[in-house]
Amino acid sequence: MGPKQKGGGSKSRGNATEEVEETLQAVFLVEQVLADTFETRFEPFTLDKPRCLLPLANTPLIEYTLEFLANAGVEDVFLYAGAHSDQLERYINASKWKASSSPFKQLSFLKSVSSSVGEVMRDLDSKHLITGDFLVVSGDVISNLPIEAALTKHRARREADKNAIMTMVLREAGRNHRTKSTSISPVFVIDPTKDRCLHYEEIDHHSEESHARLNIDAEILLTHAELDIRQDLIDCSIDICTPDVLGLWSDSFDYQSPRKHYLFGVLKDYELNGKTIHTHIIKDAYAGRVRNLKAYDSISKDIISRWTYPLCPDTNLLPGHTYDLRKGSLYQEQGVFLARSCVIGRRTVIGRGTSIGDRTTVHSTTLGRNCKIGRNVKLEGAYIWDNVVVGDGSDIRGAIIADGVVIGKNCTVQAGALLSYNVKIADSVNVSSGKRISKSKRDGSSAPTEVDVVGEGGEGYEFIQGEDEDDDPDDVSVASSGLVYRMPGLSLSSASISTLSSELSEGSWGRSARSSFSDSAERDDNFNADATGSVLESLREGVSADVVQLELVSLRMTANASDTQVRRAIVTSFMQYIEELMAKGKGASQAIHQVFSQYTEVVDRTLFDRNKDDKKDQVDLLLQLQQDLISREKGDTVLLFTAKELYELELVDEEAYEQWWNDERSSESEEMKKVRGQAQQFVQWLADAEEEESSEEEEEESDEE
Amino acid sequence: MPSTSLALTPGLSSFLKSLKSNPIDTSIENLISLLKRRQICHSRASATATAYLLRSVVSLCRTSESSKLIERVQSVGRRLMAAQPREMVVGNIVRRVLGLIRDEAEDDREAEFALSESESQPQTPRAFDDASLPLDRDSLALGSERSTRPPLTSMFSLLSHPEPEASLPSTPGSQSPGGHNNFTKDLRAEVLEGINEIIDELGQVDEQISNYALEHIHSNEIILTHTSSTTVQKFLLRAATKRKFTVIHAESYPNNHEVTHATVSGNRGDDDDLLSFESFQKPLIAHGITVILIPDSAVFALMSRVNKVILGTHSVLANGGLVAAAGTRVIARAAKVHQTPVVVVSGVYKLSPVYPFDFDSLIEYGDASKVLPYEDGDLVEQIDVQNPLYDYVPAELVDLYITNLGGHAPSYLYRIVSDHYRKEDISF
Repeated sequence: MGPKQKGGGSKSRGNATEEVEETLQAVFLVEQVLADTFETRFEPFTLDKPRCLLPLANTPLIEYTLEFLANAGVEDVFLYAGAHSDQLERYINASKWKASSSPFKQLSFLKSVSSSVGEVMRDLDSKHLITGDFLVVSGDVISNLPIEAALTKHRARREADKNAIMTMVLREAGRNHRTKSTSISPVFVIDPTKDRCLHYEEIDHHSEESHARLNIDAEILLTHAELDIRQDLIDCSIDICTPDVLGLWSDSFDYQSPRKHYLFGVLKDYELNGKTIHTHIIKDAYAGRVRNLKAYDSISKDIISRWTYPLCPDTNLLPGHTYDLRKGSLYQEQGVFLARSCVIGRRTVIGRGTSIGDRTTVHSTTLGRNCKIGRNVKLEGAYIWDNVVVGDGSDIRGAIIADGVVIGKNCTVQAGALLSYNVKIADSVNVSSGKRISKSKRDGSSAPTEVDVVGEGGEGYEFIQGEDEDDDPDDVSVASSGLVYRMPGLSLSSASISTLSSELSEGSWGRSARSSFSDSAERDDNFNADATGSVLESLREGVSADVVQLELVSLRMTANASDTQVRRAIVTSFMQYIEELMAKGKGASQAIHQVFSQYTEVVDRTLFDRNKDDKKDQVDLLLQLQQDLISREKGDTVLLFTAKELYELELVDEEAYEQWWNDERSSESEEMKKVRGQAQQFVQWLADAEEEESSEEEEEESDEE
Repeated sequence: MPSTSLALTPGLSSFLKSLKSNPIDTSIENLISLLKRRQICHSRASATATAYLLRSVVSLCRTSESSKLIERVQSVGRRLMAAQPREMVVGNIVRRVLGLIRDEAEDDREAEFALSESESQPQTPRAFDDASLPLDRDSLALGSERSTRPPLTSMFSLLSHPEPEASLPSTPGSQSPGGHNNFTKDLRAEVLEGINEIIDELGQVDEQISNYALEHIHSNEIILTHTSSTTVQKFLLRAATKRKFTVIHAESYPNNHEVTHATVSGNRGDDDDLLSFESFQKPLIAHGITVILIPDSAVFALMSRVNKVILGTHSVLANGGLVAAAGTRVIARAAKVHQTPVVVVSGVYKLSPVYPFDFDSLIEYGDASKVLPYEDGDLVEQIDVQNPLYDYVPAELVDLYITNLGGHAPSYLYRIVSDHYRKEDISF
């Protein structure tokens, strides 16, 4: 399209390298988090359809976001999809965005199995698709914001300072706002003179600790003359990024969510990486995210009352839509059948082919296409999608009724109820507030009908949400009636860190993660993986002990690791290497001798109890050894020879062996006992030698030395 | 840097640039979405974009018959009008192009009649203009019929050819295929030239209108105006070169006040491309004109002192009514009460043959946040906000229209409509 040509052609004022970056790319995260609680917020609808295809004022959610990108002049779009990606792909391929007239030069559909934004970003980095500045937008953003002001500022900043890597677009909103999430409020600490975000934290209003706290680094307070601490911002998750951002994602493989982990982490490590993140606060355009049902409700209202202009129903974003604005925010498509005596109130959207019977009243309701609404029906604040049949005399308030639902005569559907696809409700059934009724199960199979829920002749069962949400019980109860109550909305992903340890254990160093005496698994793992890897590498290359030692120290410093961790790293790497040597055909004693004699110093530097009676460190070393050897081949033999070697190298004293042998940790499990079986004779021999020694008094002492 | 960012957002300029390189269907879709997204709004920009688009449509339409060409333009026009029915100039331009095609087809047919009657000089001159697409009037117009016709094709010619299309295919039967082709090529060339004339008209319309300024603005008058309309500004500026008068400018809050303030103070920053390529002259105050900026609410109070109200408009309807920026009706009504003459300046291209049976549907509602800031959460929750962008002003509140053709009374507009649009195109 035009912009790029202009950039390349008429304006080549010498900065040719810059012009390449004129193409604005966008990464578009649809359904970004598979296992996210996010998805479950729209259950049971998301069991059948991806969230971004759910209709918002009768237009699929994704249209608004793509429209926003087209508005911003984006040319390349990369779409990442998670759940139901086949449906989404089919939709996109059939839509105008894939047609030759699409404003996007390229619309790539990237399937991913990743379960978090972090993984998507790392995937993107490895694919090298991004060439210049790009936008990261999640698949549920509704915005009419002209992006160029933010973009200009971002580019100017980046020109001046390569380290200004990201600009977040934030919408100012008052203290209370219907589109803001209520359970967690993001707090931004901003230096208003430079628009720089200094600190970010999410305050959870539903957490156990009643006092919400904000921990601002004293350094920030001391070095900045002016600070804004703002809680009134809607984070619409529109980020303008430089390619460096991806690099940072890749460097920190434990970051999962763009705000809670990434933003927080990068800001915290400012000293380390020197990257700055900036904010662009807008005051006069619309931006919001449909992050939960509450937001679905409020953004629908915003669209109907034209806050999102020009993204309103009468803009007819989809080809084939013929909405037309009448007085009182009434949007009506052509071909609507209204009975003479029905009353259509304000803020209503009615799709084509829908018929409304006599004496029916409709207020603040969105009605899809081809719905049949009977006589004497009351609809208020309801969201009714396509092909729904509502029998005479029914009363529906504040509910979401999905495609193909049939509601019998004289039914009552109370506020907050959600009826999923093709559910049938028999006559005179009362669907109470907050109930979710569905036909399909989580695994995609259809469920047996529960007659007491949908009545005789109905179809569907009560969908109980949140089996996997036990971590947030308070949230579930409120979320279920999301439309009526102020529903807490978790801002962005709350993917747990627990995936991290599992991720690690797949690596070659994972075995140590099982060690029973580690308390803070994640941090240790991190250091352990690094240190073990680097030491093993050195061993293989035969680097001198000094170098290994130096490397270990530096690693220990950066990770602030304890001596135990250092010892574990040494043990793991040494044993791994010994195993490798043995696999090559060396004898156990020979291999052990070779390794330990060469790197005596390294081991020695981790033991600080030479002159004490209580040999804690040495015992720990032996325990680590024992632990590590459980899972290795010929572990018991290796343990014996190692123990001997350590003794001969005077790294471990006899007392330590004794203490180790008597330590209950060394015999706490069957494996532990088994692995130390062979060492028994050695310990026995040591004990005997000691006795001999004591009987023979000082004579033998010089020999022993 | 700012210029870079300007180029990024799609708009009129980017559309015109892409028109040359993109295939025609892409351009059509492009314009439709630009209209839908309001990235091309304002009458002038929409009209220009439509005219350029239709020019490429016509030049790329490889058809041999005028009826096919008409069909093609109609189908494109329908889609454009459906995209943004309230931007009535789009329909106007489409209708004018259709009218052009019909006129040319008729002319050709007449020329053909003349040819077939006087079979004197058959093929030789045609061999030339086969190669040269730009029309050669003289080589074609062997029959002097064409040149003797009045230049203004009006209702009279309309009546004289009741069924232009039906009779067209039957006539050229005697001609050789080569000669037939020749005519259609010329038809297209003629139409293209006509569209170019429309585009030129769009560029010059403000200048032409401002030529009438000195006839209407007299020394020491007090003029009231509204919105930042370029047409009005140029009109006043022309008068300001010769005369001294006072301008009262209503700011037209909330949709246009910022631009209005900029117009008054002359601090036009980097505005939308519509105004920037016009290289706007100095503001009125630089010409020594007293400009008083008032809120819209003060209009009635000041009206008793005003000698003349000069208004811009979004479009003019066939009955003389206006669809103009919100607030215009209040001003027109106040002027009526004070017996102050109301003058509307508008290019002919804004004149629509549509009769407003349901003028509510012509009014567009804009962004509610201009009225109430969106950050005020409590109010947003509880209040319904409406922000109409336009007003309908009935014809009886307007005293005079000044177009690029001169001044007209509202009752005379029907005549201009019938001069510019063919009857069969009014509702296509």
